[in-house]
Amino acid sequence: MVDGFCKPAPQGESPVVRLRALTKTYGREPAVCGVDMDIYPGEIFGLIGPDGAGKSSIMKAIAGVMTFDGGTLNVFETRIDSEKSAERIKDRIGFMPQGLGQNLYPDLSVDENIDFFARSRLVSPKEAEKRKRLLLEMTRLAPFSSRPMKNLSGGMKQKLGLVCTLIHEPGLVILDEPTTGLDPVSRRDFWTILSVLLREKNITALVSTAYMDEASRFHRLSLFYGGRVLAHGSPEEIMAAVPGALVSFRTERQSEALSGLKARFSDVQARGSWLRVFVKGAGEKDAARQVQEAAAAAGEDIVELRAGAAELEDIFIALLREKKLTEESSHSVFTLSESDSIYREEPGDDGADIEAENLVKDFGNFRAVDGVSFRVEKGEIFGLLGANGAGKSTVIKMLVGLLPPSAGTGYVAGHGMLQAPRAIRERIGYMSQVFSLYRDLTVIENISLYAGIYGLDRRQSRERAGWILEMAELAGHENRQTEGLPMGVRQRLALGCALVHSPRILFLDEPTSGVDPLGRRRFWDILFRLSRRERVTILITTHYMSEAEHCDHLALMYGGKVIADASPGAMKRELATEAGELLEVDADDPLPAMSGLQEAGFEGVSIHGRQIRLLTRDREAAERRIREVLAERGTRIVAISEQPLSMEDVFVYRVMAMERNGRQRP
Amino acid sequence: MNCKRILAVTTREWRGMVRDRLFFAMAFIVPTVLMLTFGYGLSLDVEHSPFAALDYDRTPISRDYLNRFIDSPSFNFKGFLKSERDIYPLLASGKVRAVMIIPAHFQERLLAGRPTAVQTLIDGTFPFRAQTVKGYVIGINNSFNMGEFSRYLSRTAGMTPDRALSYLWPIKTEVRCLYNQNLRSDWSLAPRLMMMVLMICPPFLSAMGVVREKETGAIYNIYSSTITRGEYLIGKLAPYVAVSIFNAGVLWLIATKVFGAPFRGNPLFFFAASILYVICTTGIGLIVSVLVATQVAAALVTFIVTVVPTVFYSGIFVPIGSLGEGGRIVARLLPAMYYTNIVTGCFLKGVGFRVLWSDVVVLAVYSVSLFAIGYLQFHKRPES
Repeated sequence: MVDGFCKPAPQGESPVVRLRALTKTYGREPAVCGVDMDIYPGEIFGLIGPDGAGKSSIMKAIAGVMTFDGGTLNVFETRIDSEKSAERIKDRIGFMPQGLGQNLYPDLSVDENIDFFARSRLVSPKEAEKRKRLLLEMTRLAPFSSRPMKNLSGGMKQKLGLVCTLIHEPGLVILDEPTTGLDPVSRRDFWTILSVLLREKNITALVSTAYMDEASRFHRLSLFYGGRVLAHGSPEEIMAAVPGALVSFRTERQSEALSGLKARFSDVQARGSWLRVFVKGAGEKDAARQVQEAAAAAGEDIVELRAGAAELEDIFIALLREKKLTEESSHSVFTLSESDSIYREEPGDDGADIEAENLVKDFGNFRAVDGVSFRVEKGEIFGLLGANGAGKSTVIKMLVGLLPPSAGTGYVAGHGMLQAPRAIRERIGYMSQVFSLYRDLTVIENISLYAGIYGLDRRQSRERAGWILEMAELAGHENRQTEGLPMGVRQRLALGCALVHSPRILFLDEPTSGVDPLGRRRFWDILFRLSRRERVTILITTHYMSEAEHCDHLALMYGGKVIADASPGAMKRELATEAGELLEVDADDPLPAMSGLQEAGFEGVSIHGRQIRLLTRDREAAERRIREVLAERGTRIVAISEQPLSMEDVFVYRVMAMERNGRQRP
Repeated sequence: MNCKRILAVTTREWRGMVRDRLFFAMAFIVPTVLMLTFGYGLSLDVEHSPFAALDYDRTPISRDYLNRFIDSPSFNFKGFLKSERDIYPLLASGKVRAVMIIPAHFQERLLAGRPTAVQTLIDGTFPFRAQTVKGYVIGINNSFNMGEFSRYLSRTAGMTPDRALSYLWPIKTEVRCLYNQNLRSDWSLAPRLMMMVLMICPPFLSAMGVVREKETGAIYNIYSSTITRGEYLIGKLAPYVAVSIFNAGVLWLIATKVFGAPFRGNPLFFFAASILYVICTTGIGLIVSVLVATQVAAALVTFIVTVVPTVFYSGIFVPIGSLGEGGRIVARLLPAMYYTNIVTGCFLKGVGFRVLWSDVVVLAVYSVSLFAIGYLQFHKRPES
């Protein structure tokens, strides 16, 4: 772990936002339970947590657009306790609610949207015109100024939202999940623009996100769960809140090793062909030794082992366990033996279970899927990774026969999707984004209903219900109405219902959207067991880059095309050979440093809070050049360190490479 | 109040309304379509009822008798039938609504001074229509009888037929219907439809317009800005009121030019009262929008609070006087009845402010109260 430079919270200045013991309840449902927070001038302050953690409620309370029940709130040293007092700070606040471009006006052009915000904020026409031109240029939206907002891409919508929120130059901007559902390239772009704009106008920002991997973008942040703050401070301080190290290793017998290690460590997880163990309170070397001993004791041979720093998600989960906020103790590990498996190997059918050949789908003039091909081998977890609107769901819908393709074809379980959609449907399970459950039925009634739909008789239905309850860890919830169940339980029930007819192939369309990290982890555990023990082939889509590592094989989708297709490890190795390693530069004044490094020709330069990251093939030379460039600008370098490449880096690099190639072609 | 902010909201709202297909249709097309379809579909006059006849007598008198029906504008003669078997299929299929059967020896019996009977079969599926047709049949039959009798008197008593008739029918009824002499239902219906369309369309526009912003989250632009509640509501609803006033003009044209209803009142007074009415109905939409959170709920609630009372308690189909005690009270509590008084007064009776002032006052009170409630219930810092 790098000993990062961390600006202490400025003591002399009075905070822009001061929150004490804030509570908020919707009906009888508590949303925020006593939150304290101080946000200082010039900070980018982050709220990180899953859906339903209370982030939006806090942001709305601070923006003065929603009441709260208890505690005190001061914004710009004004006590906010009534509609009237809230009005007093609104001229200095910009608020962007959740939802991609949802607060913008779809039928108005980019220009007209900005004009409306400027006029409603009484910015003089001359001044507004000046600011608009500047902001449009910075966000590279100027060429689209007369395009109706509804025809913009997701990334452009968010940038327009930002421009509209900043047009009256507020002292504090509050952005509720501005990057959710955006592709990594747009996300990076958004963060860079935001950092530059805030710095230039000395604006304080409060930004929320559900992506744990965005933590490095903030100066300071609060980690949320269930309406409470789990930890707060700079990213480094939070990482230090639960000391420990992460050990990843590979063995021949992955799933046996997993159960072996679970007895010893609380946090063991399978990720693709790797097992990762978070060893609390240990240094990297010590942690590695502990894991090696445990593996040896379980009789497993370690093929490859790495030790390193944990990720924020590991810390988050460790904190949840520390504060006893999880109900995991009953967590039984799938006690069904091999012979219980209803999945009999069918002789002679190895090879591809799913194949897409040049699939194309046009909606009117819009090509949603553009020549997509891939192969999914039997028993593999295959991930389709991409932003909202990249075409992932459309591909799945075509393969399972819900949507006819405009061109191309595909094979599922050896059947052509054009010739035998019925045969395919009998052999697959499909779980859609919206969890197609009947909310007014109980858990067991939902399972029976799906058993009936797939024509199971009473005995089979009873057998399968037992298997599903066990597999999806639903014991204890059988007779509860689906409506009142937590998101994570509903998600596992939906998975169970998709498996009711014992399909060999499973299609999962964004099954983890909106589920908290713990729920996501549990879900992936189940998928891992299905894949390894039951040999179920799984095709899953997600927009969480961090989930990509769970897959055996990945296809990255962007704008309807597959831009890379390999295993996560191979993708990173390829990136390492093509573009080199990822260096993180910790500098005093990161914004001018960033532009300096961009001008010096470095690749993949991006800003993360106080650090700048870039890609280089020759570390020595790069370090020398970085020091030169920054010395010229008078920026002090605190540290330069190497960081592991992430899937996000791969995605951004591939998209950039594709766009460069596209531009070179006439 | 800051006019620049109001203007900013109004401009944005106007653009959104004109460019969004659904809102454009609701604003400019639906009112006209409603007016035309209801106007043509609801005509209550029974004219040109198709009928057929089965004449077993085939004599000059039987033909003379039937000609009275064939020549009447109330009936549309479809032809002679050959046998009784043809009657029922024709009635069942709805091709004719009445069939007249003249028995054999019709002329012979009449000339011999003996009574005879003509059977008429009427399609009774719509009682109101059947009653009217029956009335026509009885009326034509009576006048034929009178004619026959006066001819008999003139032959036997040596009087002129006219004089005989005045003995037979000493008192004549002289009925004259004021305001709508021919009792044309479209004359009275068209102005009332104007009332109904203007009761339904403006609240839909305003309720959907406000709730749409709540649903998408665009309302937070307002909540988080310095625009005041009053500025927002005025700026937001002004385009809807303007469109509804424009529609009032279009509907007036349809009522007078397409349906030919007379307009006898003061156009200026009528125009002013109509503006007041659409402000009032727009206010109903505002109240709905404060109460609900989704567009589906807004549409449903608006439908229930506008369409249902308007059909039953506005005097459009059933006069308020014919309602029961409870119904009359309900009618007085709703704004529609007062505007019905204004439209019928202005179109048919040609009366103005001196007669209708109380209705105008009620509408004004309504408008002010609805907007006051809407204003007080709209918060920029709601509870959720």
